[in-house]
Amino acid sequence: MWRRYGDAFYTLLTLAVFGFETIALGALSLSFLLGKATGIASTPVEGILLGVVISTASALALLGLYLLSYHFVSNLRDRWQAEHLDKWTEWWIGLALTGPGEPAGHAPDRRPLPRVAVDSVLSLLEAVKGEEGDRLKEALAGHGVDRWFLRRARAGHLTARLDAIEGLGKARLPHALDPLLGLFHHARPVVRRMAARAAAGTLAIMAPEPGPDGPHARFIDAIKQADLQPGVVQESLLLLETRAGPILRELLADPELSDSLRWVALETIGRLGLADMAELAAASGTHPDPELRAATFRCLRRLGSVPEAAQAPLLGAVDDEVDFVRVQAAHAAAFVEPEAALAALEPRLEDSSWWVRRAAAASMARLGELGVASVRRAAESHPEKAAREMAVQILLEADVLTPAAARLATGVA
Amino acid sequence: MLPTPRLTDARILVVDDERVNVVLLERILEQDGYRNVKSLTDPSEVVGLYDQFEPDLVLLDLHMPKLDGFAVMQQLESRISRDTFLPILILTADIRPEIKRRALSAGAKDFVTKPFDRTEVLLRIQNLLETRFLHLRVRHDTVPEGQAT
Repeated sequence: MWRRYGDAFYTLLTLAVFGFETIALGALSLSFLLGKATGIASTPVEGILLGVVISTASALALLGLYLLSYHFVSNLRDRWQAEHLDKWTEWWIGLALTGPGEPAGHAPDRRPLPRVAVDSVLSLLEAVKGEEGDRLKEALAGHGVDRWFLRRARAGHLTARLDAIEGLGKARLPHALDPLLGLFHHARPVVRRMAARAAAGTLAIMAPEPGPDGPHARFIDAIKQADLQPGVVQESLLLLETRAGPILRELLADPELSDSLRWVALETIGRLGLADMAELAAASGTHPDPELRAATFRCLRRLGSVPEAAQAPLLGAVDDEVDFVRVQAAHAAAFVEPEAALAALEPRLEDSSWWVRRAAAASMARLGELGVASVRRAAESHPEKAAREMAVQILLEADVLTPAAARLATGVA
Repeated sequence: MLPTPRLTDARILVVDDERVNVVLLERILEQDGYRNVKSLTDPSEVVGLYDQFEPDLVLLDLHMPKLDGFAVMQQLESRISRDTFLPILILTADIRPEIKRRALSAGAKDFVTKPFDRTEVLLRIQNLLETRFLHLRVRHDTVPEGQAT
């Protein structure tokens, strides 16, 4: 509440009050010092002191009055806002559910719509789609809200611009896609970020159109050309939801795709659980960049599926020269045929990296009875102490072994 | 044999911190003929209302401040006996598979992603209520007369 309304005036008032007090107290201090130095009687000083006290009290009273009235007005304003929001929400829902022809009562008789009406319909558009959502969008366009948002998104104060981009993101208007893509090249990173989110949300409800001029192709081009942080691209791809698949497929199929975008695509496939793309993702398992190899195996691990053609490279990567690649490969090896996986994982129990040893033992324990038996064997009789300890730890965590049994069988606990 | 109740007589509880979403769902359900709909924007009141209202279906938002949908399901779990089928339909904008898995293991029976399609929501509600009523009937038929609750 405090940050929303009147904070500029509040800041000025506070500055004035405290500035005045500082000057007055400064004068008072100087007077005292001068009085002490020159032996002047204290009466003028007392006068200054009295003046300062009176003015300070008045200033504080003014400030207190302002605070009280601010609370009062804010409460009134919030209540008014909530009532209007409810009225508008009912009106928009009526419009969405009853079909063509605006419902009776509280009809918007003026243009442009008040802000509360716009907020209300934008919230509804975040909740409903289909015919009902389309009716709301038509009504928004009918009142010129889309044009108003587009105008503000392209020019004006930064706050207003971000507000307009957020509005466009909520409204998910197909005709706003290209202006939003245009903002991918804006000088300010925050504008680029908001535009990417809004464009992705819009694209998520648009039917795919094949061809280089389709919206999805334009979005891909914009992502490739814009200076967007990997996190921003990933967030946008996640917002594409069910429409992400074809875009990710096209990104990964591009041999000239930048490493950072390839990394983002692999992360997104894993996070969205797009298991049908496991094969395409697995192709990056032999990439020269270790970050990309690790991302590939992390993706396969999240998908819980390793395509047959990717099994040999994956098991080879369990012995990769880079430790964080070995960690991810060892985790993903839990989804490979047990005998082959165990052959690759068992030697990793002696790995110099604690994380690799842990990933190897954990994956072995997930490989059914054969895997658990191997871990148990390692816990009991592996020549390396570190391997025995890790195997015991994993068996304890998996409730295969009790601490007492572990001590008895292995001497490790 | 227990007479099959009409679906529109079902008691439905809507829980979402966004008032706009609650009103939208209420109106959608009303328009489809459902007459016993109660809603909450404060998830901490769910347990109290659950005891009074005894809903046949809960429509639950996942991401809410203070008490999220997972915590609400946890609270409800202690109120629902093991042989009771209380469907919980999750309405969420979060489509991450791990969230779905977590919610399903916490007791959710189905998912609808926001923004949702009105027809899809109504069909899912109908399916869950049919299952609920079938379950109630089977339970009634297998419990000796006078012991059914």
